[in-house]
Amino acid sequence: MKYSLVLRYALCILALIVLAPAAVLVALHMPAFGEQLPAYGATVNAHVPYMRQATNVVTAIIFDVRGVDTLGEEFIFVAAITGLAVLLRGGRGEDASRKPIHTDGRWLPARSEAVALLIRWMLPATVAFSIYVMAHGQLTPGGGFQAGAMLASALLLLFLGDGYRSWRQVTPPTVMHVLEALGAVGCVGVGLLPLALGAGFLENVLPQGQPKSLTGGGLIPLFNVAVGMAITGGFANALVEFLEETREPEAEGEQ
Amino acid sequence: MMLAVAGCLLLVMISGALVAFTRRPARQVLMISVHGLFLSMLFLLLQAPDVAYSEIAVGTALVPVMFLTVLAAIRGGGRRNLPR
Repeated sequence: MKYSLVLRYALCILALIVLAPAAVLVALHMPAFGEQLPAYGATVNAHVPYMRQATNVVTAIIFDVRGVDTLGEEFIFVAAITGLAVLLRGGRGEDASRKPIHTDGRWLPARSEAVALLIRWMLPATVAFSIYVMAHGQLTPGGGFQAGAMLASALLLLFLGDGYRSWRQVTPPTVMHVLEALGAVGCVGVGLLPLALGAGFLENVLPQGQPKSLTGGGLIPLFNVAVGMAITGGFANALVEFLEETREPEAEGEQ
Repeated sequence: MMLAVAGCLLLVMISGALVAFTRRPARQVLMISVHGLFLSMLFLLLQAPDVAYSEIAVGTALVPVMFLTVLAAIRGGGRRNLPR
């Protein structure tokens, strides 16, 4: 089906007539730039740091005040990765991504030594930093999701520096599957733990610890680490499935 | 402060337009990455460091890698292109 240019412009103008006033209306009613916090934000800011010994209120909100939402988001992520794996493995077979696939006849650009050396310095630093971000989720900016995404992309640096095969050796699918699953189970476990102690689901009943300490925040650090594991494993799995897609199966493979 | 935010907004606007106007997909992916970098700078200036972290990890690293992979799969004659 082909649309004529006239029809396109007519649709564009029609959409503008409907949407432009709405956009202007929204723009006019936005709170002014840098305005005072709304009431909910002010309340959270006033109470959460003292109730939870957490200096990063964002993490405290995500993993405590609205922890159930985070649990839901966590499983949306896991479900998305699962769907991706099902779709991509459909044409490839179940076991295909277990070991890295050859690409016969593809020209492999040699890494310059400078790049390889730089990556070898940057990789441990990035991994250390992402573990720092995960551990300090309730204290400084960042948290499980950020740390997990960082860790997965830090490992990907190995692809840049040492090639696909080394990256696949560092992220064996079995380990990454287990990591993702353990993270997802951990999130539910963190929710069930208070039930065992006689409180509500995800209720933060653990001792809150000292302010500004790694163990402060009760359930928050545990939830944080569980989410970090699930995100690291999930992103690593997604990248493995995507990158296998560019490669030919081995000659004695499925064909 | 206002000036820095305005400058960052301008950079985000320019890089966003460049993403839309770049015609070659491989360059477009790199522009997405640059756009994500400016966007995370803007988030940092607007005092949302958590969002800036997410943007820099997902928007400038993971998403471009996935796009590049897709391009490689399309161009490199991956298995999907083989007749069955």
